[in-house]
Amino acid sequence: MKVLLVEDEAGLRQTVTESLRQTGYVVEVATSFGQAQEKIALYRYDCVLLDLTLPDGDGLDLLRELKLDNSPAGVLVLTARDGLDDRIKGLDLGADDYLVKPFHLSELNARLRAIIRRRQFQGQHHMAFRDLLVWPEQNEVLVRGELLTLTRKEYDLLLYFLANPGRVLTKEAIAEHLCGDQVDAADSLDFIYTHLKNLRKKLQERGADNYIRTLYGVGYKLSID
Amino acid sequence: MNLLTATTRYYLLLTTGLFVLASALLYAGLPQVLRHETDEQLLSERLTLQRRVARGRPLPTDLLFAYQLGRSRQPRRLGYSDTLLLDERENELVPFRQLTFQLDAGRGPEWLTLRQSLVERHDLRRVLLEVLLGALGLLLLGVVGLNRWVARRLWQPFEHTLARLRSYDLHQHRPLGLPRPPITQFAELNQALNQLSERLVADYESLRQFTENASHETQTPLAIIQAQLEQLLQAPTLAADETTLTLVGELLNSTRRLSRLHQSLTLLSRLENQQFAPAEAVPVHLEQVLRDRLDLLGPLLEARDLHLTLDVEPGLTPRLLHPGLADSLMQNLLQNAIKHNHPGGTLAVALSKAALEVSNTGPAIAGDPSRFFERFRKHNAASDSPGLGLSIVQHICTYYGFRVRYDYVAGTNWHTLRVEFTPQTHGVRPAEKQPVQLLS
Repeated sequence: MKVLLVEDEAGLRQTVTESLRQTGYVVEVATSFGQAQEKIALYRYDCVLLDLTLPDGDGLDLLRELKLDNSPAGVLVLTARDGLDDRIKGLDLGADDYLVKPFHLSELNARLRAIIRRRQFQGQHHMAFRDLLVWPEQNEVLVRGELLTLTRKEYDLLLYFLANPGRVLTKEAIAEHLCGDQVDAADSLDFIYTHLKNLRKKLQERGADNYIRTLYGVGYKLSID
Repeated sequence: MNLLTATTRYYLLLTTGLFVLASALLYAGLPQVLRHETDEQLLSERLTLQRRVARGRPLPTDLLFAYQLGRSRQPRRLGYSDTLLLDERENELVPFRQLTFQLDAGRGPEWLTLRQSLVERHDLRRVLLEVLLGALGLLLLGVVGLNRWVARRLWQPFEHTLARLRSYDLHQHRPLGLPRPPITQFAELNQALNQLSERLVADYESLRQFTENASHETQTPLAIIQAQLEQLLQAPTLAADETTLTLVGELLNSTRRLSRLHQSLTLLSRLENQQFAPAEAVPVHLEQVLRDRLDLLGPLLEARDLHLTLDVEPGLTPRLLHPGLADSLMQNLLQNAIKHNHPGGTLAVALSKAALEVSNTGPAIAGDPSRFFERFRKHNAASDSPGLGLSIVQHICTYYGFRVRYDYVAGTNWHTLRVEFTPQTHGVRPAEKQPVQLLS
């Protein structure tokens, strides 16, 4: 899967690129409006990660161009401006989703995965990971062919892990993913433990043991092996 | 009181006072003056008679009226005196002034009495009063009429200025641009107001830019730090190094807190500076916002074993609000009710046309309830949350003119935060301060 990251801040660009590559994406970068315009015209991407404030132009104009060209690429808007202003404008113009900076890289992965999944109309609709098989359309999870019954939040949690295989997910990032980014993470960490415990137990019952590892005091990780 | 009414009132008071004084003085003084004039006339007649006699001519006998000159051989009291004589035509007594003196026309001493009628002075008084009262009446009418005209014409620029001030909206980023009327005072007023509004616009603009820059420019480095720390967390070498792993985790956590704190403070200052243009408001279904938020917070309720009761009045119409603010209001109220609840407690939400009520069970909170809305107010000092939630709630409510109230029932340990909406007209506008009425 190929994505274009349009971001003028070098530090953020490098880190996001590295993180996306680790997760398995093919990443191209554009550091300016002009460069992004050029790449969008020349190549096909599954998704464009779009910073709105670029030195030589407004990211929303790029979004308009993409929509005018009927580009199949999904658009994930990354905005550092106050979310109270731009999020609605951006979505009105046809962005698939938005993330307000600063964001969790794991959240970026999850959103990106969701956008690409929604936009892939052909081919397989499922995700496979080790013994797991997920059919997102039907909200079904199979472990070695056997149906796994999960609550909605457990299912969301599993998808979040699957979007970030092998990556350390902090408790805060998980809490914000499940309860919204406005949630006061400091007061809401206790519930994660419960949900994780239940999810692990259900996986274990079906023989998917030790999929989720605990990193004491920090968070959790979906183990790739 | 109307400014013109007030000035007219004082003006009329002064005019009437002066008229009364003038009338009284004239009424009392005029007879004195007339008497004095009559006396002088009588004296002059006496001198004429004396000169005539001195030249050896006889006293006149062909007088028009007999009463004008009385002659007597008997001594009379000398000097001026008042008397009454019968007016035969009208058959009434008429006041006269007379002067008696002695004269010797060669045939022995004779006493002469010169008389002048005083009847005119009564008529004079009457005429005088009539004229004065008439003038006063005309003046009063004139003053009222003139003031009406003045109000319409001369004060027109002022009324115009006032109307412009009332409808002035700083959010449009334009100075007032008032015209320069011909009357100096109004021209100066308009000039001063123009300058004031230009300064306001400039200040507002710089404040807006600062808030915007602060939120944008600070979030960018924070975003880099957060992403890099999160990436650092993925380093394979760290997996075995628990101490460093925990440290990086805590760093990440603090960065997140800093960024949240910054976002909250930016939101508060934007609310205080009224930086949410009314144009950004859209019809918001509060019930939907409430249900979305509750849905997201579901796991939290579950984890704390909280029982939720939801009571929504059917048929609620959407309100014109900024969607982000509506969401933030809901989030902060719910988060607060969850945070200060005790495990196994209850969270009750009631939404009606008039109010939103979020109640929760929980231990009594020490301190003055009115101070709960202050910034950085923490129930538990050790808590990681900055304590801005209720402050944001209050600011959003103030911004929309909603009333927010906290109630606590001691016996049941029941806390209630009640947001009373403004009555729904065709749309909710941010609360505006009513301008002081100067001219009605």
